[in-house]
Amino acid sequence: MRKQLYFGVSLIITVFVYLWQQNMSMRLAYKVSFLQSDYDKLNSENDILRLKINSNLALEKMDEIAKKNNLLRPDEKHIIYID
Amino acid sequence: MRNKKNRINRKTILAFVMLLVFFLLFAKLIYLQVFLHEKINRTVGKMVNHEAVEVPKRGDILDAKGNILATSIKSYTCFIDAKMIEDFEALKKVLYENGIKIKEKKIYDFKNMSYIPIAFNVDSFIVEKIKKTKLKGVGFEAKYIRRYPQGRLLAHILGITGCDGSGLEGIEKICNTSLSGEIIKTKIIRDGRGQIIRNQFLNTQEIHGCNVELTIDRNIQFIVEQELRKAFEIYKATKAICIVQDPKTGKILAMVSIPDFDCSDKIKNIKSLRNSAISDLYEPGSTFKIITMAAALEEGKVKLSDLLYLESGKFRIAGHTINDDHKIKGSVTLCRAFEMSSNIGMVKIAQRLGTDLFYDYIRKFGFYSLTGIDLPGEAKGLLMDVKRWNVLTLPNISFGQGIGVSALQIINAFSSLANDGVLLRPFVVQKIIKYNSEKEIFEKKEIRRVVSKGTACIMKKMLKNAVDLGTGKSAKIHGYTVGGKTGTAQKIDHSTKTYSTKYYTASFCGMVPAMNPRFVALVIIDEPKGSSYYASSVASPVFAKISKRIVEYLCIEKDDIK
Repeated sequence: MRKQLYFGVSLIITVFVYLWQQNMSMRLAYKVSFLQSDYDKLNSENDILRLKINSNLALEKMDEIAKKNNLLRPDEKHIIYID
Repeated sequence: MRNKKNRINRKTILAFVMLLVFFLLFAKLIYLQVFLHEKINRTVGKMVNHEAVEVPKRGDILDAKGNILATSIKSYTCFIDAKMIEDFEALKKVLYENGIKIKEKKIYDFKNMSYIPIAFNVDSFIVEKIKKTKLKGVGFEAKYIRRYPQGRLLAHILGITGCDGSGLEGIEKICNTSLSGEIIKTKIIRDGRGQIIRNQFLNTQEIHGCNVELTIDRNIQFIVEQELRKAFEIYKATKAICIVQDPKTGKILAMVSIPDFDCSDKIKNIKSLRNSAISDLYEPGSTFKIITMAAALEEGKVKLSDLLYLESGKFRIAGHTINDDHKIKGSVTLCRAFEMSSNIGMVKIAQRLGTDLFYDYIRKFGFYSLTGIDLPGEAKGLLMDVKRWNVLTLPNISFGQGIGVSALQIINAFSSLANDGVLLRPFVVQKIIKYNSEKEIFEKKEIRRVVSKGTACIMKKMLKNAVDLGTGKSAKIHGYTVGGKTGTAQKIDHSTKTYSTKYYTASFCGMVPAMNPRFVALVIIDEPKGSSYYASSVASPVFAKISKRIVEYLCIEKDDIK
């Protein structure tokens, strides 16, 4: 009788562990999917922001802004080099 | 007793029926599990399992300082699935609020279609906003598009990509394999609600294309482009070219050809795609005299102390007259003849050298062969086979006529003298950087020694004198020694098939500082219009302006204290 009881309990535990593992793997798969899409989204946003930084710092654009603000390239004698 | 028997019978029948039901269910189960197993598995697999194609991001192109010159960003095409739309008015309103207009007629015309594209290049921020509304019938398709944040800068070097994202010109074409990355397929599962379940995390960086780092410095490129564009407009030239090279390594620091184009815009004129600096040929004129002089000095056919009689500016060979722009009476030294850019002097030097030796040196300096630059469309040049040379070929070529060269070949020849007589392969790609920061580095590559160090040193002094005392005075910059040579070449008039007296190519190739050059620059203005067409008044001043700004930018120490 006791043997049967042990057998029954171990069977139930095995089934329970199996089901728990299946469930967890499913939950983790969902989590991986969400993380993947978040990661892709952040990467894509990062790319766009880097592009914006580089576009804003484009020399042609900066030169135009400088001209609009009446800025001139300094003459050689106006430059002081600091070591 | 009878009742009891009836009850037993009923119980037996009930048990039998139940057993039969279970048996039937069991039989069905066996049938499904054993006989239909494969079919069902396949059907469910089709519904649940999907293959996702991961499109890699094309690698970035960076300048020598790591600034982005070309990059790819994810962009979306918004489409409508007409069959899925539940609330058209709500959908229309949401899309309109995000700057997307739908034409009702279009939807009505294609009401049986599941894919009606309505907007292209939609931002990911807008996509997220629309997705949050959870409206049915609208979808987004992602793809990478190429962007060039620097606008027109470096257009010819960067090149263009096709609508499929592959490189068609410039670095985009040459480095296409490295930039492209690899398309991979991953398995995904969709649950009942259509949500994606992944069985592994995919590091997309691994499949993206490699970044390519160029030798070009964005700031030097900008300086060159700005000054050259000014000259191009002032002289109403048909073409303007400038290349700046580091003579010690062969690295191209800047390369500009005008007319140019904007990589991000639609290409209206296909001709503007041509990178004139490497693809177009021209007759170099007097800048080619360095080849004649260096070859004669190297072979010991002339000495610095030799005197040349310059025939008072007119020299007849085989019924043809060769003229000098600066008519010099009597004899002058070798250096003076070079400084004053005497055609007659060069003819006499080339005659001492002889046809075969002269031809060998032309080839040794890299003319009539590809320099090996890592850009597409390089021209080899034009040079008549030495066996077919006539009595006028040698004299003509000695002062840069009757030979077709590319701008890159000329600057590379000058650089070989600046590099103590060693010819290097010019290059624009210095690194290919993989996702894990692993780098493939391209080092300088020696082609051959062209002349000895001593000859190269004499040539540098002669080039310095040509700027200090000769035709290149306008190329001087305050505080620095400059060595260089002007070149004013007549162009062929195709209608008369003779040299034109109207169209010229003005060029100047020089190095700064003269004796230990940090950079070599070549300026070519094709068909300048205006009061003067001479290189000394058209090309040399542009060289001076460019060089002045470059020495300031590179913080090159002043070497001319006078």
